[in-house]
Amino acid sequence: MGVPFDYAPDRPEYIENILNGLDRYNPETTTVFQDYVNQQCEERTYDCYANLALLKLYQFNPHLTRDETITNILVKSLTVFPSPDFSLCLHLLPPHILLSPTTSASSPPAGDAPLSEAVQKLSILSNHLSAAQYTAFWQTLDSDDLYADLVADVSGFEELMRVRIAVMVGQAVREVERGVLEGWLSLRGGEFERFVREVCGWEVGVGEGGVGVVRVPLNKENEAKGTVVRENVKFDQFSRMIRRAYEQPA
Amino acid sequence: MSLAQRLPYQNGNAPARRMEDASDDEEEALVNNYKEQVRFDDELSEVELPMPVGQAQLGEDIQSRITAAATPLEYQATLETRFASYDNYCSLFHFILNSDGPVDLDVPSYYWAWDVIDEFIYQFNSFCSHRNRVARKGDNAEEIQILRDNPNTWGCYSVLNVLYSLIQRSQMNEQLAAIKRGEDPAAVAGDYGSRPLYRMLGYFSIIGLLRVHCLLGDFSLALKTLDDIELNKKAMFARVMAAHFTTYYYVGFSYMMMRRYADAIRMFSHILIYVSRTKNFQKNAQYDSITKKNDQMYALIAICVALCPTRLDDTIHAALREKHGDQFARMQRGGPESLPIFEELFRNSCPKFISPTPPDFDNPEINVDPIEHHLTIFMEDVRNNMWSSTLKSYLKLYTTMDLRKLAGFLECEPEKLRTWLLVNKQRSRQVRWSENGLLDGDIVSTSDLDFALQRDLIHISEAKVGRRLVDWYLRNLARTY
Repeated sequence: MGVPFDYAPDRPEYIENILNGLDRYNPETTTVFQDYVNQQCEERTYDCYANLALLKLYQFNPHLTRDETITNILVKSLTVFPSPDFSLCLHLLPPHILLSPTTSASSPPAGDAPLSEAVQKLSILSNHLSAAQYTAFWQTLDSDDLYADLVADVSGFEELMRVRIAVMVGQAVREVERGVLEGWLSLRGGEFERFVREVCGWEVGVGEGGVGVVRVPLNKENEAKGTVVRENVKFDQFSRMIRRAYEQPA
Repeated sequence: MSLAQRLPYQNGNAPARRMEDASDDEEEALVNNYKEQVRFDDELSEVELPMPVGQAQLGEDIQSRITAAATPLEYQATLETRFASYDNYCSLFHFILNSDGPVDLDVPSYYWAWDVIDEFIYQFNSFCSHRNRVARKGDNAEEIQILRDNPNTWGCYSVLNVLYSLIQRSQMNEQLAAIKRGEDPAAVAGDYGSRPLYRMLGYFSIIGLLRVHCLLGDFSLALKTLDDIELNKKAMFARVMAAHFTTYYYVGFSYMMMRRYADAIRMFSHILIYVSRTKNFQKNAQYDSITKKNDQMYALIAICVALCPTRLDDTIHAALREKHGDQFARMQRGGPESLPIFEELFRNSCPKFISPTPPDFDNPEINVDPIEHHLTIFMEDVRNNMWSSTLKSYLKLYTTMDLRKLAGFLECEPEKLRTWLLVNKQRSRQVRWSENGLLDGDIVSTSDLDFALQRDLIHISEAKVGRRLVDWYLRNLARTY
C-alpha cells in the first residue's frame, strides 16, 4: 500500500539518473526539470521528489528562478493533499515569501512581489484543504481571477481536486446529505450525480424526510470497527529463559 | 529490524544491557583493529617513502591544520577568523582529496574524522546565521562590505562539494550497499576507501549531508541521504556518541517536518532511552556537549506526542514531565492557548536553519530569519490540529453521538464540527516506516479512536490494547529459577 516518498511511477529514466547523481545540483539541469514540470502539468502525472530537486536548484541559484514554474509546482502539490508536499515545497522557497504584503509593500523588492502574492494565495487554498473546509476552498478559488491564472497550466485541476476530496470524504463518511456533498465538491444537479455515481461509485438516493442522501459503501476506513490489539509474542523473548534452562539443569 | 524489535516498553532492562555489552566488546575490537591498521600504515610509509624535505614541511603545516580543523571555533569569532578557518578547511580537504593517491595522516584521535566534519558544518552553519543577522540589522557597514566582497566564502556549493567528494572518494555508498547485501565491503572500497581515515571521513560525511539538507529545509532529501545506512546499534555512527546522537536528532526532526510524527517519536525515544541508560558511563566532554541537544529532543518529542498521542516509554515520560510538564499538558489540551507553547518549544529546539545564498544587503527588511519561515509553515499544521484533543476527549465517552448535540457541547457550529471531524480523520492516517529506506512506509492509523459519519450520526469505535501477559509471565518465571 505504501510507496516510498521518492518514488514516482511515471518518472522517466533520465530524470531518475539526474536525481541520483550530482547533476541534481547542476544549474544546467534546471531547464530539464522545468520541462518535466510542464509535462506533469499536461499529462496529469506527479513527481514531488523531482520538483523538490528543482526548487532546491532555485534555492541555490536564485537568478534562475522562474515564478511560473514555482506556482505550477505548488498547484500540483495541492492535488495530492493531505500529504505534506505543499509544505515541503514552501520550506524550500526564500524565507521572505510568506511575509505579509504590508511589510514588503513598504519597499517593494525588485520583481518578487507577484510571486510572494501568488504563493500566499495558494497557501490559503492549502489551508482550507488541510482544515477540510472544502466549500470554502471552492469559494476562494472562484473569488479571484488570479486563481484562475494560477491553476490554468495544470490540466484537469478541478477534477483532480474533486477526486482527492472524494477520497477523503469516503474515508470518513457512510452517508452524507446531498446538499453538504454538493458544496464540498462544488457540483450540482446532473453533473453532481454523474461524478458521484461514475467516478466515486457511490449511491445517490433519498433519505428520511425527502432529503437527498449519498451513500458510500463500507470500506476499511469508514467502517470504524472496534479492535483489540493483541500482544505480538516473539520467540526471541523466551531465548533467555530457554538458555537458562540448559545452563542450570534442575 | 532491530529498531522495530526494540519497542521500549517491551524490553526489560536486562536484555538491553546485554546488547550494550555486546556492542561494547565489538567496539573495542574495532578500535583495536583500527589502531593496528593505523600503525601499519605509518610503518609502511616510513619504510617505503623516504620523505622529501618539502613534504616534511608540508607535513608540519598539515599537522597544524588537522588539529585546527577539529577545534571548536570560539564563540565570538571575528569574520577574519571565520574566513581563515574556511581557508584552512579548503586546503586540508584539498590535500586529503586531491593529492596523488591517498594520503597518510597522523590524526590525533579515533574521533577526529567525526569532529572535523561536525566542526566544519557547525562553522558553515554559524557563518550563514551570522551573515543573515548582519544583513538584518544592517548597522555594521564594515562587516557588510566584507561579506558583500566575499559571497563565495562558506558557500553551500563548496560545503556540499567537500561532503560529496569525501563520500565518493571513499566509495562509501558502494561499501555500505555491499554490507547491506552481506558482501565484503573491501571488494568495492578501492584505494581510498580501504583506509580507515577515508572510510571514516566518507561515512561521517553522509551524516553531515543529512544535517546540511535539514538545515536548508530539504527534509525529504535529508532522509534520502541515509538510504544506505541502517539505523541500528551496529551502525558505525553508534560508536561515536555525538554522531549517534546527531543522526537521530536530524532524522527525527526531518520526520517531524514531513508530518510523520509516529516515526519522529520512534527516533527520539530510541536515542533518549539510549542516553538515559548510558549516561553513567559517559561522564566526559562528549556527553556534556549533547546535554543541550538532549533537552531539545525532549521538547520535540513533547510536540510530536501532543500532535499524535502515543504512549511513551516510562523513563522518557517521567523525564518529559519533569522538564516540560506544564507545557506538555497545555499542548495536549490544545486550543488557541497552546499555540504559543508550540512556537516557543519549536524555536528553542529546531536546528539553526540557514539560507544558502547571501542575503540582500540592500533590503534588510526582506531578510527573514529562516527559522521564522519554517516555523510559520509548521504552525499552519499545528493550528489545523488544535481542536483534536478536545474532540477526542468527548468522542471517547460515546459509541454513537449526534453531530448537533456534540456541537452544542463544544459550543461550535455543526458545520464547523463536521470539518473538525474530517481533519481528525485525515490526521489519524499517517505514513509509518516498516522496512527499507527511511522515506518508505505504509499508511496506517495512528489513533486509538476511529469514527464514521452517517449523516449527522457519529459512530465511534475504539482500538483497545489487550492485556500484556508475556512480560509478566517472563518476570515471574525468572523468579522461580
